[in-house]
Amino acid sequence: MTDSDQQGSERVDVDRQTEQGPANTELTGSQRRAERRTAIALAVTVLAGIGLFVVYFSGGQTQVEGVLFAVALGGLGVALGIWANHLLDAREVVEERHELSSGAAGREAFGDALTEEVGPVLGRRSMLLKLLAGAGGALGLALLLPVLSLGPAPGDTLKVTPWRRGSRVVDEEGEPVALDQVPEDGFLTVFPEGHEGASDAQTLLIHVRPGSLKLPPEKMAGVPEGTHVAYSKICTHAGCPVGLYRAESQSLICPCHQSQFDVSDGAKPFFGPAARPLPQLPLGVDSDGILVAQGDFPEPVGPAFWDMNRGR
Amino acid sequence: MGHRRLSSVEGSGRVRRSLNVLAGVAVLALLLTPATGTASSSRRAAAAAAQQQPSDSPALTARGRELYQNSCASCHGPDPAGPSYYPTVPSLNDVGGAAAVNWVLRTGRMPWKDNKGPAIERGEQHFSDEDVRALVVYIGTAVGDAQLPDVDPARGDLQRGRELYGQACAACHGMNGAGAALGGENIAVSLQDVHPQDVAEAIKIGPGQMPVGGGMTDYEFGTAKSQQDVDDIAAYVESLRTDPYNEGGAPIGGKGPVPEGFVAWVIGLGLLVVASRWIAGRG
Amino acid sequence: MSTVTERSFKYLDERLGTASLARTALRKVFPDHWSFLLGEIALFSLVVLIFTGVFLTFFYTPSVQEVVYDGPYEPLRGAHVTAAYDSVMRISFEVRAGLLMRQTHHWAALVFVAAIVIHLCRVFFTGAFRRPREVNWLVGVLLLFLALGEGFTGYSLPDDLLSGIGLRIFYAVTLAIPVVGTWVTYLLFGGEFPAPDIISRLFVFHVMLLPALLLALVGVHLAILVLQKHTQFAGHGRTERNVVGKRLWPEQTFKSLSLLLFTTAVLALLGGLAQINPVWQYGPFEPFNVTSPAQPDWYIGFLDGALRLGPPWDLTLFGFTISEVFWPAVLFPGIAFGILTLWPWIERRFTKDRAEHHILDRPRDTPVRTGIGAAGLMVFFIMFLEGGNDIFGVLLNVSVETITRILQWGLVIAPIVTFLATYWICKGLSRSRLRPAQINAGVRLSRTADGGYETVSLEPASSDGEREPTPTGPPH
Repeated sequence: MTDSDQQGSERVDVDRQTEQGPANTELTGSQRRAERRTAIALAVTVLAGIGLFVVYFSGGQTQVEGVLFAVALGGLGVALGIWANHLLDAREVVEERHELSSGAAGREAFGDALTEEVGPVLGRRSMLLKLLAGAGGALGLALLLPVLSLGPAPGDTLKVTPWRRGSRVVDEEGEPVALDQVPEDGFLTVFPEGHEGASDAQTLLIHVRPGSLKLPPEKMAGVPEGTHVAYSKICTHAGCPVGLYRAESQSLICPCHQSQFDVSDGAKPFFGPAARPLPQLPLGVDSDGILVAQGDFPEPVGPAFWDMNRGR
Repeated sequence: MGHRRLSSVEGSGRVRRSLNVLAGVAVLALLLTPATGTASSSRRAAAAAAQQQPSDSPALTARGRELYQNSCASCHGPDPAGPSYYPTVPSLNDVGGAAAVNWVLRTGRMPWKDNKGPAIERGEQHFSDEDVRALVVYIGTAVGDAQLPDVDPARGDLQRGRELYGQACAACHGMNGAGAALGGENIAVSLQDVHPQDVAEAIKIGPGQMPVGGGMTDYEFGTAKSQQDVDDIAAYVESLRTDPYNEGGAPIGGKGPVPEGFVAWVIGLGLLVVASRWIAGRG
Repeated sequence: MSTVTERSFKYLDERLGTASLARTALRKVFPDHWSFLLGEIALFSLVVLIFTGVFLTFFYTPSVQEVVYDGPYEPLRGAHVTAAYDSVMRISFEVRAGLLMRQTHHWAALVFVAAIVIHLCRVFFTGAFRRPREVNWLVGVLLLFLALGEGFTGYSLPDDLLSGIGLRIFYAVTLAIPVVGTWVTYLLFGGEFPAPDIISRLFVFHVMLLPALLLALVGVHLAILVLQKHTQFAGHGRTERNVVGKRLWPEQTFKSLSLLLFTTAVLALLGGLAQINPVWQYGPFEPFNVTSPAQPDWYIGFLDGALRLGPPWDLTLFGFTISEVFWPAVLFPGIAFGILTLWPWIERRFTKDRAEHHILDRPRDTPVRTGIGAAGLMVFFIMFLEGGNDIFGVLLNVSVETITRILQWGLVIAPIVTFLATYWICKGLSRSRLRPAQINAGVRLSRTADGGYETVSLEPASSDGEREPTPTGPPH
């Protein structure tokens, strides 16, 4: 039945629809079956709903709650689905599409409407318009200024860590680490004293097997007894802590993207996406036998960034 | 049109039935997803038995020697303290003593069947508990390291254990003990179903890529502090096994977002696609 | 209708003109194919997300202030954790139905993005993005990005070890943007990692900014759909000038409601039965701790996999550094999502097809587009697999190195192979002219000029005696 609203609205024939297909000729039997199934589904919903009340007020249990919600909601969903497919007098309807475009005439009318107001200004006050543009630009940029308050200027902060010459090496709890404390094949996460837990200062102290390090002499000078080497724990790829030490092969693997670093060879990456070795922290021993740093890391720690090689 | 209605009733009935089956299977699968690893009651008994330091009875040592000659000497050499026959087989002199023997025998790693990469695969315990004790006594005495680690999670501090575990173990074994690949076919095994004795022994031995002391600093077998550390860690690992806190439902392996993503697509979206097809009918 | 209802409707209509508005709306015709419901799955997942999300917002504290945990989770008793983490632990263990709401929320997020992706695939492979629907394609792609952002910000809120690692990686990715990377990162995070401000900022994005954009764009998406009417597959009586289907009321309303209920049911089922993101196991975030295996939620998994695939090339030009992270995490997504966004225009450049299209293509009839789409999906799938390389390594007893090498080669070879195979399959299917069994169309009524009705009967269809020149019926 096409639409023809006689109530005075000018929307006669607006949907331009045609129905097709016969009236519902479904056998009453199957319709009654559908009704019964719908009723059962709704009853299930009711029961599950009651069940939810019981479960909730008796303390709650996540699995039972989840299942009961699912059953309650699913029951109603089944009911509505059966209803939609079997209990409605659903005919296929053909609706004509309307033209989407307003047409050239429509666009022209819009153009006229637009320029009618602005036209005189457009034509004659070009200097005013230029100033308007300038004002808009200046104001727009100024409105963006508070964004700069969101964070500090990076400065040099990515290139330095709290490690200094003479910083005592301490563990997570702040206890100083003595030279003989870490057993062979052992490793420990260490920090400079006073900065326990500092993210950029996290360092791995590894006691490697004697004679296994293959570092140039100037690097070996920062390895007490030739066995206690320290590398930054921050992966030079994307910054995850490189906490997986493989004692037998004396190598580190980062769990995030499987970059692997050779501890015996200056923590150079030999597999995976990391491109740079882990910076080495030069160590020494103070008069009490406590490990100390000989200075900060020689390179910036962690992932690369645009100006990382531009001096400090 | 009547034609269509009838076929859609059949069709939707079929679809609905398969939807029900799918849902039932999905729910069952979720509920029955086993945690990784297998529990064996005989292992626990063996572990409990092994907790008592095996006494140095001559009969036990003799039995141990006999077993060794029959089952182990062909690879490890005639003398446990001496060199082995093959370069890839370590001498038992420096693998970690009695603790190592106990560990590999109870976890079925020995007799050797297969390697999971460089690490030897776990399996069912091959020898009887008595025979395990015999071998432990014999080999332990022969290599001069006869003492088994003592461990009791009840003595351990669960909170401190969690902290220690987070510092020393979690990077490789995962905070929830799920285990992970370590590159080069090395694997840190799942700890979600291991016995406290395994924990104590593995920390002492440092098997495979795992460092002796489990990566804990100042670990020294026999000291009171190390004993406390081991008890604490064992308490935490035991909590991963007994698992009283995972009230969220099936852990789906405990491996994190990857299996969760599969479940979301296959079960979540899968069920909903089936539902969509049912709802739309034969449209 | 009872008199109360009648009077209410009259009240509204006298003031807002709702009657005729509503009547037009209720009579709108929508075609009936099941694949047109996929977008609704996404919409209803969003409903669940909002419903559960509001609940969670009442309990969540977006603060990194240190507190001492003293809840029922024994291993953490006495530990120093952030207020954010503590509030999520409280939701999980102490708020009744809290864990159900939290898990349902997280499952809904996973299914939300999955539904968007599968809906996008349906739109892509049937060419529904062609004129006049290019704008809606843009809106849809934007919705995908917003959904990804919502997901990422959302799972980072608990401040647990796993999501904290993810934030660390995100920090490195923004750092890798050339020229402005350091500044953008510092402004976004509020300083050096771990910037404590980031949790509360993520919260603002997650519950305010992104949802506002999301809901507004969903509104636009649906409005354009209603305005332009839905597309349809070719079939009997279906032309470029009409829409054949069922009306919004009552048929489509019942169906949509049913799907809404099923969506909620499935999500609640998962939320109750399948544990997800057990933050108590991971523990609170510490910048020097790490856990294995470490992956993000699946929809960010492709990025994780891209990062794992390498290559370890960093560049130094005139003293400035381009990080190795740039290629997989900045350049690749930029190009891939750029192609995705601009696809309607890219395709039009080659097909020169500027006509309006309301009839959908069958994927087999457009083998090039289908092949490219399949190849694109394969690229993302390979990256997703690589993202889980350590998990698959343990499962399959293969080293992560082997998996990575295979997938590195796969990334180059598999898309080409996929394209060729898909192309070949499409051609084969088209050629065989397989089509599903035709359905009796029955009887058609049409209105005569003087207001009466006329029966126009249609013969049963056969492969030769089709009345319409358009080919085959809708795919099943």
